[in-house]
Parts: sequence; C-alpha cells; structure tokens
Amino acid sequence: MSVPIELRDVSHFYSPGTAMQVAAIKNISLTIEEGEFVGIIGHTGSGKSTLISHFNGLLKPSKGTVLVDGEDISQSKEVLRAARFKVGLCFQYPEAQLFEETVAKDIAFGPKNMKLPEDEIARRVAEAAKYVGLRPEMLDKSPFDLSGGEKRRAAIAGVMAMEPKVLVLDEPAAGLDPRGKKEIHELIRNYRSRTGSTVVLVSHSMEDIANLADRVIVMNHGEIAMNGTVDEVFSHASDLQTMGLNVPEITRVFTALHDKGFDVPPNIYSVKEGVRILRALLEGGVG
Amino acid sequence: MEKLIEIKNLTYTYEPDEEGQTGYTAVKNVSLDINKGEFVAVLGHNGSGKSTLAKLMNAIFEPTEGTVTVKGIPSVSEENGDRIRRIVGMVFQNPDNQIVATIVEDDVAFGPENLGVEPAEIRRRVDEALKTVNMYEHREREPHRLSGGQKQRVAIAGVLAMRTECMILDEPTAMLDPKGRQEVINTVLRLNKEQGMTVVLITHFMEEAVLADRVLIMDGGSVISQGTPREIFSKPGFLREHGLDVPQSTELCLELGIEDCVLTVDECVEKLSLMMGGAV
Repeated sequence: MSVPIELRDVSHFYSPGTAMQVAAIKNISLTIEEGEFVGIIGHTGSGKSTLISHFNGLLKPSKGTVLVDGEDISQSKEVLRAARFKVGLCFQYPEAQLFEETVAKDIAFGPKNMKLPEDEIARRVAEAAKYVGLRPEMLDKSPFDLSGGEKRRAAIAGVMAMEPKVLVLDEPAAGLDPRGKKEIHELIRNYRSRTGSTVVLVSHSMEDIANLADRVIVMNHGEIAMNGTVDEVFSHASDLQTMGLNVPEITRVFTALHDKGFDVPPNIYSVKEGVRILRALLEGGVG
Repeated sequence: MEKLIEIKNLTYTYEPDEEGQTGYTAVKNVSLDINKGEFVAVLGHNGSGKSTLAKLMNAIFEPTEGTVTVKGIPSVSEENGDRIRRIVGMVFQNPDNQIVATIVEDDVAFGPENLGVEPAEIRRRVDEALKTVNMYEHREREPHRLSGGQKQRVAIAGVLAMRTECMILDEPTAMLDPKGRQEVINTVLRLNKEQGMTVVLITHFMEEAVLADRVLIMDGGSVISQGTPREIFSKPGFLREHGLDVPQSTELCLELGIEDCVLTVDECVEKLSLMMGGAV
C-alpha cells in the first residue's frame, strides 16, 4: 500500500530569524494512508491550516521533510508540481476564489493548469459537477448568480475535477445551514465511495468528524496532541475540553449514562445507533 | 410587556442591480414585536431572509413597505436611523470585518467616539465593556492577534460601549471553534440575564437557539413559526422541511417516544435515567 502523504519531523516558523519568530507547527510526523478518511480537529490557531498547507507544498517546511507518494517534494520543481495535482486543497470559504465568467470555466481551471486535453477537461467538469449536485444548465451561469450553497459546491467541484489522490477540505460546511451541511457531507461521502480517494477533513464540528472520519488527528498549540481512531480520541473527553474542543453531543449523553452505572456503551457517535441501543435495553427491561 | 422593536407588515425588496436583474424580495409581510429584555433566536436556512430582517431592525435598511419602530422611532430617515442605532447594536459573523482599530481598546472606543461622548466617559465605558466580556486584560493588544472568540467579544464590547438596549447578533459563532462559540454564547446569555440586554440571535446552531426565550423560524422571507424552544424543537419533521434540524439530545428522546421535548444533554440524561431506573 502506498502512502500518499508523509510528514517527517516538520516544523514551520513564521517570521523566522526575527524576534517575532513563532512556530506555527512543531515537529510533526504523520502519515496519511491510501483510502483513509482522516479528520483533523483543533482550536483556532492550533496549526491546522498551516499543517494542511504543507500537504501539497503550498508552504515549505522550515525544518523536516514532506513526502507525497514517497517522494520528497522539495527535490525538484517537477515533483512539487506533481504533488500540487495529487493533493487537492480546498480552503475555508472557497467560493471567495470563484472568478471565471461561467461555472464550467471555474471548475475547469485546475484541469486546464494540468494541461489536459480539452475532451478530458470537459469530462472532468461534467463529472465533478455531478458529484456536487450542480445541474448541467447551471454550468453556463456566472458563478455570482448561484446561491451561497451552490457557490460552495462549485468551488469544491473545482478541486474534485483535478481528480486528486487526496482531497483535503478545510471546514467545507462552515456557515451553511443544517441542510447545506448535510448535503456537503453527503457529497464528500459519495465522492469517496465512487473514487476511492483519500480524504482529509478539517472541522470544528465534533459530530461531523465522528460521523465521517476513520481516524482523527488532534492539533494543539502547533503539535499533534492525539492521533487515533474516532473511539480512541473521543474517549478523552476531558483532555479535549482542556484543548478547547469537545466530544459529540450524543456521545456526552451516553458517557453520562454509562458513568451513572447504566449498561450502555459510552462511545456512541450517532443518534441512530443510540436509539437502537436504548430501544433494545428498554424493551429488554420491560420483558 | 414593553415593546422595544415593533414590526408591522414589513416587506423589503433589494433594488435591481445595474445589469437590470429584477429586485429580490427578501422579507415578505413580516409582523412581530421584540420585547424589552427578551432573548429571541432566529432560525432559517441560508437565504431565508434572516440577515435582511436583522438589517431592517437596526435601520441599516429602510422598509420597502410596512414599518419598523424602535422605542417609538420609525426607521424612515437617516436621522432616525442614527437614533435607532444608538438603541439597537449589531454584531456580524466575521469578526475581521468589523474591527477597525489596531488596539483593542481603541476599537471599543470607536462607537462612543462617533456618538460624541466626552473622553472621560468613553474611558469609563470602554473599561466597563471590556470587563463585562472578560477582555479587559487584553485591552492593549492588537486585535489581529486574538482568537476568533476573543475578537467577537471585542465586537460585543464595542456595542456595549455605545450603551445600546438591544443587541442583534448575525451568526456570531459561525466561524469559531467550540471554545470560541462557548465564550461568545456565555457572554450573550450573561448580558441578557444579568443586565437585561434585549438579544436577537441569528444562528444555524440549534444548541444555541434552545437557550432563547422565543424562537422564530423564517423561510422565504416570512416568519413561518414561532414559540418557546420546547414548542419549536418538538417538531423535527417541520424543521427539516425548512432546512433546519433539532439538537441530538432532542432527537434521541423524540425517537424513543419521550413526549416532553428535551433540549439539552442534562435534560436528556435525566429523562433517560428515570426511564431506565430499573435497568441499573
């Protein structure tokens, strides 16, 4: 199995060599395995955005090495360029970066930079639009005529159209209403199940991370504080709270019931699962 | 109950843009009152008219039809608008767009300075406001070095320093991490409960709306439902139809057939413990 992303002892300093030098991330070593869905959580300023900006060489480490598909991306311009296409980064509020005359042209921007043939670009634009649920007739509109949620989806389609091995999304659902959030999560899930690509999701919503990710990386003050399965990470509720984070609401309910001595698992992450367990218990209790 | 904001048959249509696109009616025939000291949450999907309504309540916009009256002042002129904004303050979603000064305390002083308040009084108000939001120790810092939650609390202090009676917050926590969200919401709650500040909170977070006295649901520019949080959140099907949701604790209990609507983790745990009493 190949390792799409590996960081070896990576640090990044802002204003290096001055009295103002700040380490945004410190001594980070991690791997993102092929096909994984990794969630990243951490308080504002914990280094999440700096970290993911290293995944495709957008930021260069002050110290340490970044490998994409096993190759050190600092070794040559070609390797760095290839890394930009292998790892697709979608930043917060990506709709602010829409700029073309039509939605189709905006989605095509990435593939064009990759110098793909026209028919391949057209195929990718159509497919990415389908993944994010933009109807074909919307592709000829100006991106500025779309609703907020549609703009967001168009921007995400632009990254998907590059068909990156690893799709990295920084708070893709920020500012959306509950339905808009659900739609974004659904489309990420669909994209992943159809393409098998690796996904990294940065989020402030513990509920979303618990629902979507296989593994969770917790950033705190520029360092990795935890790195484990959803179960491993969310079993440390009080540590997470100290770091300005939390566990999902439904997990708080089950942990409290568990701690009161009821025969329920503390590690429940979805309402559906919670309902199933309590129903079985309540019916069993009556019978 | 004393009415602070009275809204009657309010409609607002955005002017057509230069390309000749037709004007968009964002608020349609809304009538409602905001009472003094009340904490009202406004829910609705993106584009439902919430933010436009907010801007009508503090006279950033004037009605296309109908009226908005704040303590008897109708929002019909620049001059009345200025008077209304001394009563109704506003905090926006993105803290970076509303901080104007390079030092925290200067930013908080900006509002009262514009009102022509005398310097000694400004000093007193700024200190008091910063203490109220627990940012006094950061008064000499540069705003861009603060966390999101801290910046939003500075924005709230800016409104407090203007001595408004009502604060409208338009998704103030949308860009914040869990701790920042908690800080801002605790501050808002304290202002409402301890200082009697009237609060209108627009939010996409259902767990924030449960803290309000009254919840309004907007869709298509109209207020389609209102009630106490318990009344509103006992209708998950209705909420989902309008792009909203209920808190996980509420959903869990409703799914289990518990009739009284629970709103918080604590209520949920208490209810379930009682039900499972025999299962320990």
